[in-house]
Amino acid sequence: GLILLFYLVFYGFLAALFTFTMWVMLQTLSNDIPKYRDRISSPGLMISPKPDTALEFYFNKSDARSYAEYVSTLRKFLESYDDSKQSQNINCTRGRIFDQNDVAVKKACRFNLSELGQCSGKEDKTFGYSKGTPCVLVKMNRIIGLKPEGEPRIYCTSKEEGMVEINYFPPEGLIDLMYFPYYGKSLHAHYLQPLVAVQLAVNSNSTKEEIAIECKILGSPNLKNEDDRDKFLGRIAFKVQMTE
Amino acid sequence: IQDDHKLSTSELEEKYGTSINKGLSSARAAEILARDGPNSLTPPKATPEIVKFLKQMVGGFSILLWIGAVFSWISFGIQLAQGAESPFDNLYLGVVLALVVILTGIFAYYQEAKSTNIMASFSKMIPQQALVIRDAEKKELPAEQLVVGDIVEIKGGDRIPADIRLIFTQGCKVDNSSLTGESEPQSRSCDFTHENPLETRNIAFYSTTCVEGTATGIVINTGDRTIIGRIASLASGVGNEKTPIAIEIEHFVYLVAGVAISIGVLFFIISVSMRYKILDSIIFLIGIIVANVPEGLLATVTVSLSLTAKRMAKKNCLVKNLEAVETLGSTSIICSDKTGTLTQNRMTVAHLWFDNQIYSADTSEDQTTQPFDQSSPSWTALSKILTLCNRAEFRPGQENLPIMKRVVVGDASETALLKFAEVILGDVMNIRARNKKVAEIPFNSTNKFQLSIHETEDPNDKRFLLVMKGAPERILERCSTIMINGKEEPLDSEKAEAFQTAYMELGGMGERVLGFCHLYLPENEFPDTYSFDTDSTNFPTSNLCFVGLLSMIDPPRSTVPDAVSKCRSAGIKVIMVTGDHPITAKAIAKSVGIVSATSETVEDIAKRLNIPDEQVNRQEATAAVVNGMELKDMSLQQLDEILCNHSEIVFARTSPQQKLVIVEGCQRQGAVVAVTGDGVNDSPALKKADIGIAMGIAGSDAAKNAADMVLLDDNFASIVTGVEEGRLIFDNLKKTIAYTLTKNIAELCPFLIYIIASIPMPIGTITILFIDLGTDIIPSVALAYEKAESDIMNRRPRNKRKDRLVNEQLAVYSYLQIGIMQSVGAFVTYFTVYAEQGFLPSTLLGVRVDWENNAINDFEDSYGQEWTKYQRMYLQWTGYTAFFVSITIQQVADLIIRKTRRNSIFQQGLFRNKVIWVGIFSQIGIALILTYGLGHVTALNFTPLRFQYWFVAVPFAILIWVYDEVRKLFIRRYPGSWWDKNMYY
Repeated sequence: GLILLFYLVFYGFLAALFTFTMWVMLQTLSNDIPKYRDRISSPGLMISPKPDTALEFYFNKSDARSYAEYVSTLRKFLESYDDSKQSQNINCTRGRIFDQNDVAVKKACRFNLSELGQCSGKEDKTFGYSKGTPCVLVKMNRIIGLKPEGEPRIYCTSKEEGMVEINYFPPEGLIDLMYFPYYGKSLHAHYLQPLVAVQLAVNSNSTKEEIAIECKILGSPNLKNEDDRDKFLGRIAFKVQMTE
Repeated sequence: IQDDHKLSTSELEEKYGTSINKGLSSARAAEILARDGPNSLTPPKATPEIVKFLKQMVGGFSILLWIGAVFSWISFGIQLAQGAESPFDNLYLGVVLALVVILTGIFAYYQEAKSTNIMASFSKMIPQQALVIRDAEKKELPAEQLVVGDIVEIKGGDRIPADIRLIFTQGCKVDNSSLTGESEPQSRSCDFTHENPLETRNIAFYSTTCVEGTATGIVINTGDRTIIGRIASLASGVGNEKTPIAIEIEHFVYLVAGVAISIGVLFFIISVSMRYKILDSIIFLIGIIVANVPEGLLATVTVSLSLTAKRMAKKNCLVKNLEAVETLGSTSIICSDKTGTLTQNRMTVAHLWFDNQIYSADTSEDQTTQPFDQSSPSWTALSKILTLCNRAEFRPGQENLPIMKRVVVGDASETALLKFAEVILGDVMNIRARNKKVAEIPFNSTNKFQLSIHETEDPNDKRFLLVMKGAPERILERCSTIMINGKEEPLDSEKAEAFQTAYMELGGMGERVLGFCHLYLPENEFPDTYSFDTDSTNFPTSNLCFVGLLSMIDPPRSTVPDAVSKCRSAGIKVIMVTGDHPITAKAIAKSVGIVSATSETVEDIAKRLNIPDEQVNRQEATAAVVNGMELKDMSLQQLDEILCNHSEIVFARTSPQQKLVIVEGCQRQGAVVAVTGDGVNDSPALKKADIGIAMGIAGSDAAKNAADMVLLDDNFASIVTGVEEGRLIFDNLKKTIAYTLTKNIAELCPFLIYIIASIPMPIGTITILFIDLGTDIIPSVALAYEKAESDIMNRRPRNKRKDRLVNEQLAVYSYLQIGIMQSVGAFVTYFTVYAEQGFLPSTLLGVRVDWENNAINDFEDSYGQEWTKYQRMYLQWTGYTAFFVSITIQQVADLIIRKTRRNSIFQQGLFRNKVIWVGIFSQIGIALILTYGLGHVTALNFTPLRFQYWFVAVPFAILIWVYDEVRKLFIRRYPGSWWDKNMYY
């Protein structure tokens, strides 16, 4: 009896102590930005849609069901980029870092879906999958305070030459500097990260082949893309296999 | 049983195909040698080295770790087959676990082998030679080559090389003490005197010594077939019991393994029912096993024991079996030899009686003067007799040695007298030269006296001086006067009465008493040209003048009484087991305190109350002196009764075989028994005892082989220091284990919380191994250097059934209190690291699946930032490092609190044990090297850590210290309270 009581008190005390120290620790943190950002000095790349099977796209362009999931994922992903959702966002000056350090309420820059051209889902509801020109959206991971230098752009290559033709929206895969820096979830609630759409026009004679694509960030000296250990730092590799 | 002792010489010749004059032929001898094998005792079967090695590989926790390794390899196989991305992690983990087992196994094996080697040096014997007649020639042969039927010749001083039927003897006496414990030399002849081959006079036994005379005999038994060989093989038949500490460690291993397996299986079931994959569940199981098993602990225990063994070796206790170090500490009964162990093993003059008064002499080991009153002229006369009537001489060339250490040619009592005289008078040999000896009758057993006649050193005194010594009653018979204060007075009945009283008193003290008398021969009857003839005794041998008595004893070593009283206050019963006379035994027992001054035996009480022995209330007698003869007729119950009822026991006149019976009797009482011994025949008892202690100087090889420990100086007092060390190491091992077990919880909790709350893994399996086998090793060894908290020699020996090494309180306090506190501290650090990098605790809960998903490279943190898999992994390793550092920091506090179990650290002294600080610095140093030096080696999962994270757990470390001080304070304040019972380990 006594021993149970003792442990009740003992653990109660420890739990209280744990809660208290955690509370103290959390008090030292800011709500807006994490204390340290050194573990993510350079952003990773990610694509949408993201297939379940480790970044490999398998679909039949004549079978709508085979790519239905990709299309719905893309649609859902682009929902937040819809004009109706961007009513508060402003048009920023292109090609320049949009510094808002002195402003209490951070504005988000408008990202027009039309910039994604054929991959915007406006004209082609299947994002090109039905035509054998699938779209893949490439995005750069959000990192608070990151200011890319130079002219960052996404550039993709295929290991197998001549199998696929790659188009970028916006042209040349440019990522505009006006979308940087990011100020974090709480300050920058409406922030939309810039996207680059990569449209792959698979050669008609290369169907049924597995095509390996690698996309990288180029043109910015402070964005790494050659890390030995981190295969997703400033680059991403995926495979596409299309049948008819 | 052989009947060789009954056969005549010719029958023997026929039986063994030999000839008394010619011996065996070399060819025949070679044949028999090939048939019977060499004439030596087969050493006890040694366990093959490979078996010893393999035992280390599967003993203790090794099995658990092997299971962990096998599971790792299985999951590696499965992952490889499934084509997972990093299956090699598990392969490496398996290899590391296997390495840990193999390396700790090799280490333990090496330690074991090292202590065995110390002993191996003992068994190197100088090969014994024997004089054999072969091919009708006398030859010196190694005794090993003797065969049955060989004719051997022995002379005084030889060791009997085999069992021998004697066919010719001349004044032959043998010392059978190694066989029977009887130290009086026994005469041997060719006659068949007893049906029993052990009692008959015409057989001499292997390993006994011929004291004097010569003999020739036929070898009738060799090697293991000799009587001694049979006793020795009896020893190997006596099972080697597990040492108490081995039992304790086994108990502890079962406990920890039980906890590990039950938590492992429980969480395996939980994780399976939480829909984790079987493979993942297996990996969790490995983690739980690794976290629960104190990998480094058994090696630490071995090191601590060998440190103590080293310390004991410095104090003349050489430990053969490491575990015996602790056994001595838990000893509750010591069965000690008398001669050599309790006593100095040399006759020394203890008392003198002259002028109607008893004087005591100094019997210590290093006497340089004798303090008794030497002014009386009677003493001058007595000193002259004991100087002159003495045939013993110092070996030449020892002038620089202290008198007591000089080698003397002569028998034991003459040696005693010579040294006694040399101490008081100085240069005895010169005095003898100045008082030239003109005639002498040496001592013989019929007349029981020794006599010599000398010229006096005074040139004016032309008289001859006749001096005589011998058995007191015989000497007194020859006297008509007695010297009192230098004057001769008639020996009337009153003076004779005084003599009787003194004689009885000295004899009652177990001392050997000699009487001394002299006579100045009148000058007119014996002019200086007189020719003395000892055959016709043309001089008076009666009507002499009695001068005094001198009594001798083999005195106790001066350190022994103190050691015995230490044993008593330490709750250890000391029982004397000797082959000596009950009276001498009791006297020595009294003088060393084995029988205390106030206690009485049944016989003493009977004598005091003047009633028959049977009417004495046995409960009143605290002491008992048991004769070997009585012991022989006793039933086991009677023996148990004696061992139970009397606290002070002396066994006298016991045979070495009875020693075994006594040891077994003590063990039936549940006691941990230490036995000292030196003879071959002691080996069964030494083996049977929980700890056998052989004498390094006097001990035989067989005894040293059977023993667990060797006393290099044959001194009982060394055993007491051994006991002290043994008790200390038991306490300190408790501390070491408590220290080591604590952090297991801090290593285990991460796994449990990881499984239940699905947070990112707080600590890696490899990291755990770095704590268990890296930072924690030196500190846990350092606890072996801790001084005792209180006088450990003032408490009773531990009860081996109740006082466990690892008891419930220790496990509960370490696991459920300090361990949990450590876990809390480490988790605070873990959450701090994650929160300051952007993952608030609330975000972390339940993220495991996505967190570990290789395909998710835009994992969002609490601030909207996105992380790749590798960035998360790197953060996870930072978490491992932070968790590791926190455990290390809190282990420093744990180390400090474990210095004591009851006293405040400030009573114990924070800086007294310097090695603890070496431990603390090594701990922090290793952690620094791992985090900053090896922080870039990916495989080790360490990352350079921000400096401030080292201090997050510091408040918890301080809390641990304060809490433990409070615990100890309450234990000291309220002994016997609920708190004391539950919190004292």
